[in-house]
Amino acid sequence: MTVTIVLVLVIVIALAFDFTTGFHDTANAVATSIATGALSPKTAVLLAGVLNLVGAFLSVQVALTVTNAVVKIQAPDGAPVPGLVADGGEALLVIVLAGLSGAILWNLVTWLLGLPSSSTHALFGGLIGATVVGLGVSEVNWAGDGTGLGGVVGTVILPAVLSPVVAGLVAAVGTWLVFRITLGLAARYTAGGLRWGQIGSACLVSLAHGTNDAQKTMGVITLALIASGRWTDTESVPFWVKAACALAIALGTYLGGWRIIRTLGKGLVEITPPQGLAAQSASAAVILVSSHVGLALSTTQVTTGSVLGSGLGWPGAKVRWGVFGRMVVAWVVTLPAAALVAAGLWGFGELLGGGLPAAVGISLVLVAGSGALYARSRREPVHADNVDAPWPSSEVPPLTASDRVGV
Amino acid sequence: MVDALAAEALALGEVLLVALLLGAGLPALFALGVRALARGSATETSADGVTVRVPAARPVGRVVAAACFAVVVVVVLLGIAVIVAGGFGMALSFEDVYPTFVAEP
Repeated sequence: MTVTIVLVLVIVIALAFDFTTGFHDTANAVATSIATGALSPKTAVLLAGVLNLVGAFLSVQVALTVTNAVVKIQAPDGAPVPGLVADGGEALLVIVLAGLSGAILWNLVTWLLGLPSSSTHALFGGLIGATVVGLGVSEVNWAGDGTGLGGVVGTVILPAVLSPVVAGLVAAVGTWLVFRITLGLAARYTAGGLRWGQIGSACLVSLAHGTNDAQKTMGVITLALIASGRWTDTESVPFWVKAACALAIALGTYLGGWRIIRTLGKGLVEITPPQGLAAQSASAAVILVSSHVGLALSTTQVTTGSVLGSGLGWPGAKVRWGVFGRMVVAWVVTLPAAALVAAGLWGFGELLGGGLPAAVGISLVLVAGSGALYARSRREPVHADNVDAPWPSSEVPPLTASDRVGV
Repeated sequence: MVDALAAEALALGEVLLVALLLGAGLPALFALGVRALARGSATETSADGVTVRVPAARPVGRVVAAACFAVVVVVVLLGIAVIVAGGFGMALSFEDVYPTFVAEP
């Protein structure tokens, strides 16, 4: 009975994480289109939300082994390690719960600051943190199994360094070419024509995000179901899990992470239509090509790199390096910070005696923390109506005071 | 580990090359289409912002523009096919020149 309650808490919190992934990453798909006026803010998030939903349902392939990238709580076929389910799976569930909670809290902190950080890094960080304190450092998969680049180094650190460089280079070249070609053309031709290019590439990024990122939550929920003996098939995901994850990520996307959209669309570079087209095309191309050859680059870091590249590709374009510096700090800090929060939460649960009290205690802390962060965000809300307001002349403050309501 | 690094570097070079072709080449082609379309219209604006009347519309511009946009649309559709295929555990193979769905290696 107690396992069932813990399982329900894990599922609810996993869906909450999926939801934060949605609004945290909306910016990746729509920030540049909104900044150049190619799409109105509300249309943009609706489009991205719908395509995320479609993308999530398209992912038939099982992402059951998602935790294997960083921790050793699953066998290669996706089943939980036998020693961890001896108690009915409760210990494993509490670790997953703490990991997810740490990831959510860190996602909310970076959202409050308007920083585009990787939701995947937050999830991995949370799982690593909870695993280290719950099972020991040796249960973390640092460098993979030796057959290829895996583990923390191969799936987190290398891609994080490479993504912005590759995407930035492609976007810089694209920006230069598009500017060069459309030079001297009347604005009515460029604005109208380039608009459709931007919308098309934004759609591609949204679709790819739905297929890649909703799967991770589906994998975590299915792992929890298997650990507690509610599901045995390691080849497929229950349909209700898929539907719930697809809805959660789509709703999150539709809500719009306006604070992050603002930073990426207005803060980092003052984006013009040619830059928007080049940046978004570069993002779509790099994400699709890299996942095609099995190189897992972070969507968030690819997009940021593209926007930066579009600012470097044409002389006279303006890049706010102070804003970029803050982003880089957020990238580096995300994994360890989410790990620390998750480890702290797991430790707190252990003080409560583990099992059901731990799960309930961690959930309460998560709710309280999320509520506090949300309350803080209301002091300077960013929403569809002020997301495009001019960036303040001082570089760093990402928010403008406003008495309007919004998220 | 060293082999893995080498393989990764190779994969990265491949990604960079293809991404440059698609990610920078396609928007450039798209921009060419926009430019051609502008030339296909009856008026043109010179760099200093003055609208100049040209004697007649240039149909060639429209044809070139249509060709540019067609290529872009086809490649974007292929991109969607890659995403969809990946979701179903398939991959898009270009071994027969025209794309076919194959089981993922």
